[in-house]
Amino acid sequence: MLRKTSRRAFVKRSATAVAGAFVLPQIVPSSVFGMGGKLAPSDRIIIGAIGTGSQGMSNMRDFLRLGDQLQFVAVCDVDALRLSKARETVDGANKNNDCRTYMDYREFLEKEKLDAVSIALPDHWHGIIYTETINKKVAVYGEKPISRTIADGQTIVKACRKNNTIWQTGSWQRSLPNFHRGAELAINGRVGKISHIEVGLPDGGRGIGTPPVKDVPPELDWDMWLGPALEVPYRGVAHWDWRWILDYSGGQLTDWAGHHIDIANWGAGLENTGPVEISGTGVYPVDGIFNAPVEYDFICKYANGIEMRVANSSRLIHGMGTTWYGELGWVHTNRGNQLTASDPGILEEVIGENEIKLYKSENHWQNFIDCIRTGRETISPIEGAYRAISVALLGEIAMTTGETIKWDPEKEVIIGNPRASRLLSRPYRKPWTLPTV
Amino acid sequence: MKKQYIILLIVAGIFAFFTTCSDTGKYKALIITGQAEHDWQTSSAILKKLLDQTGLFNTRILSTPEKGGEMSAFNPAFSKYRLVVLDYNGEPWPENVKTAFVDYVNKGGGVVVYNESGNAFPDWKEYNQMIGLGGGEGRDQSAGPYVYFRRNEMIIDTTARLSAPAVPSQEFEIRNKITDHPVTAGLPARWLHGSDMLSGPMRGPAISLDILATAWSDPRAQGSGREEPALMVIAYGKGKIFHTTLGYPQDGGGPALECTGFITTFQRGAEWVVTGNVTQPVPLDFPSAAAASLRPGLVVPTPGEVMKNLGNYDIQKSTRYFTLLQNYIRQAGGDEKSLLNYEKMMVKVLKAPETTVEAKKLLLRELSWMGSDYCVSAIRDLAGNAELQGEAEFALARLEATK
Repeated sequence: MLRKTSRRAFVKRSATAVAGAFVLPQIVPSSVFGMGGKLAPSDRIIIGAIGTGSQGMSNMRDFLRLGDQLQFVAVCDVDALRLSKARETVDGANKNNDCRTYMDYREFLEKEKLDAVSIALPDHWHGIIYTETINKKVAVYGEKPISRTIADGQTIVKACRKNNTIWQTGSWQRSLPNFHRGAELAINGRVGKISHIEVGLPDGGRGIGTPPVKDVPPELDWDMWLGPALEVPYRGVAHWDWRWILDYSGGQLTDWAGHHIDIANWGAGLENTGPVEISGTGVYPVDGIFNAPVEYDFICKYANGIEMRVANSSRLIHGMGTTWYGELGWVHTNRGNQLTASDPGILEEVIGENEIKLYKSENHWQNFIDCIRTGRETISPIEGAYRAISVALLGEIAMTTGETIKWDPEKEVIIGNPRASRLLSRPYRKPWTLPTV
Repeated sequence: MKKQYIILLIVAGIFAFFTTCSDTGKYKALIITGQAEHDWQTSSAILKKLLDQTGLFNTRILSTPEKGGEMSAFNPAFSKYRLVVLDYNGEPWPENVKTAFVDYVNKGGGVVVYNESGNAFPDWKEYNQMIGLGGGEGRDQSAGPYVYFRRNEMIIDTTARLSAPAVPSQEFEIRNKITDHPVTAGLPARWLHGSDMLSGPMRGPAISLDILATAWSDPRAQGSGREEPALMVIAYGKGKIFHTTLGYPQDGGGPALECTGFITTFQRGAEWVVTGNVTQPVPLDFPSAAAASLRPGLVVPTPGEVMKNLGNYDIQKSTRYFTLLQNYIRQAGGDEKSLLNYEKMMVKVLKAPETTVEAKKLLLRELSWMGSDYCVSAIRDLAGNAELQGEAEFALARLEATK
C-alpha cells in the first residue's frame, strides 16, 4: 500500500506543479522517470479498466504493448463473460491469477487504489462514471465521445479542472503524423485564412427492424447496463449496436465527432470554443429499433466567421475526414495516412521556428502514461474533447428540433430557445444522478 | 396580314395549351402498356394512381393490341399529351407510330421509361438513344457499351457480354450520384428500396445521359458487385426523358411499387420531364439506408392517420408511426402553432383509454422536449401509474426544468 500511496501522491503533486504551465519546455529526460528502460515494479503505473467490450479491450491491448511501464490489476464490466475474458488477458500479461473483477463500478472505484483507469462505455454512462472516477483523483483514459449530452460534458470538464487530474481522450488520430501535419499546416495559414471546414463522418448503415423482446442472458446485468437511461425491455441489442440507438448514443455522428471534428478544431484553433449558430437536417430511419440519424448535414458558424459543415461522407467531395479551406486552397486528411492538398506544394511547406507547433505525440497510450508521470497535459485533453462532441450534440439538437440554434460558446447556453435547451441534458432514471463536482 | 398571323399564333397557342392540359389545369398524361413480361395491367393501374396522386396529372391508360394482334390499330395522338409513360415491352410499333413518338419527343414532349420498357425495342435506334441505356437479352455490343459504377467510379465497359447473375428479389440500396438534379435534390444519399428485381447490366448509346442514382448489386446477396443504373435522365431533341429501372410488379403491386422511394422518384421524374422543375417535396416517409419504407395500398400517410395508429403501438410492433410523428415535429421547425397542434393531438392520444402503455411511453419521451404547459397536467396524471412512472418523471423533469 505504501508503494501505491507514495506514487499517487507524486502524480498529484506533479500535476499541481505544472497546472497551467504546460507551455514550459516539455521535454523531460526519460532517465528521470526511468522511461524507456526497464522499470522496477514500484515505478509501474497501476491501472484498471471499466468496460471490457471491443474498444475497452482494444485500449487494453494498446496499453499492454507498452510493457512493464504499467500493470493492470482490476477490470469491471456488466457482462460476466466479457469480464472473464478481460481477466484472462490481464492475468496472461501479468503471468499470475491476481486480476480482480467487478460488475459494479462503484465497488471497483471504492476498493481499488489506482493511478489510472481506462474507460470505454456506452455514451449514456459517461457522465456518471467519468465524473466519479475523476472525483477519485485518478488519471483517466476515456473514450470519445466524452458525453451523451452537453450537460454531462460540462460536468466532466468541471471535474477534471477541479481535481486537476490527467485526462486523455481516445481521440488517437491526434497522435498520427498525417493528422498532426494537416492540422499544423491549417493552423499556420498554409491554406490562407481558414474560411470553412468540411468534416465527413460515416454514413449510417442498415437497421435490423424491431427484434422481439428476449430473456436477458444470465451473464448480463441489464439494469446496470441501462443505468441512467430509461428502462426498456431487452431485445438482444446491447454490445456494439447501442451505438445506433439514441438513448445511448447519437450514431456515427457522435461516434466519430471525437475524431474528425476534433482534428478540424485542432487545425483551426477552435478546440477551446464552440459555434455560435448551428442549423441542418438529418435523415432518420423510418422504422426499427435503430433510430439514430443515418445521414446528417449541418453547418456550424463560429464567431470568427469560420463555417464548419459536418455531414455523412457520401455528401462530401472529399468523403471521410477533415478538409480545411482558405483563400489559398485546401488541405484534407483522413485515415490510411491520407494527406492531400489543392496544391501539392502546400504539403512541402516548412513550419518556421516562430510558428505554431502543435503538440506532438507518436503513441497515444504512451502519451497518457508519460503525462501521468510528468504531470504534463495530454495531447487530447478534456476541454478539446468536450468542444468536439459539443459540435455534434448541437448539430443533433438542430436536427431534432428542425431549428437554427444560437449557442453562446462562453456561457455554454442555447440563446432564446427554452425548448431546444431541454435537449442539452437528460433526466436520469432513478436512483442515478449526475455526481456533484 | 401580320396582325392576323399573330392572332392565329395566339389562338394556336391557347388551343395547344388546352389540349395538353385538362380543364382543371392538370397536365394530360398517357400511359402506354399492353405487352410486357410483367403484369402490366397491375403496374399501369398503379402508375396511373401515382401520377394522379400528385395532383399534377390527368392520366389515361392506352393498351396496344395483344401480342400477335393487329398493331395498325394502335395510333396514339402523342401531341395531345405533355407526358407519355412507357410500361411496354413487346412487339415493334408501326412505323408511323414510331415516327410520331420521335417527333413528340423532339418537340419537347416528356417521357418516363418505366422498368421493363428499358428492355423494349432493341432495334429502334432513336428509342435506344432516348432511354440512354437498355437491358435484356436483345442488346449486344452494337447497342453500345455497358455503363455502371464500381467503387464510386463510372465505368464504361465494352465487354461483349457481362455476366448477369439472377439476383433474387430483395431490398437493395439506391445510391444517389447526382444530388443537385431536381428529381434527386433533397433525397438521402443512400436509401433502401423495397424488395424488387435488381436489373442486370445495361448498355446503350448513353448520349446526353445522366445517371442520377444506382442500385447496389451486393455480392453478399448474390449480386454482381456493380452499381447498376437505377434512375437516369436523358435529353433528346427538346424533350426530356426520365428512366427508372425500379418497380417490378408482384401480385397486386408489392413492395417494389409500394416503396416510397420508387413512388417519389417516379412522381418527381414525371413532373421534371414536363416542366424541367420539381415542386413535390421529399415526403416524410422517405426511406433511408437503415430501412425501406412502404406505403401499403399506396396510402400517403397524414398526421391524422399517424395519430390514429400511434395509440395501437405495442412493444413488438413497428415504430413507424412514431418516427413519422417525429418527422412531422422536426418539419415544424419550431413553429409554435404547428407544435401546439401536434401537442394537442398527442395529449388526446395520451389520455385515450384505449392507448397502449407502450404508446404512452413513446409520447411522453417526445413531449419531454417539445411539449408546452398544455401537456403538463396530463403527464402529472400519469406519474402515479407504476408502468409509466419512469417516462412521466423523465418528461416532467425536463418540462419543469425550463419553466
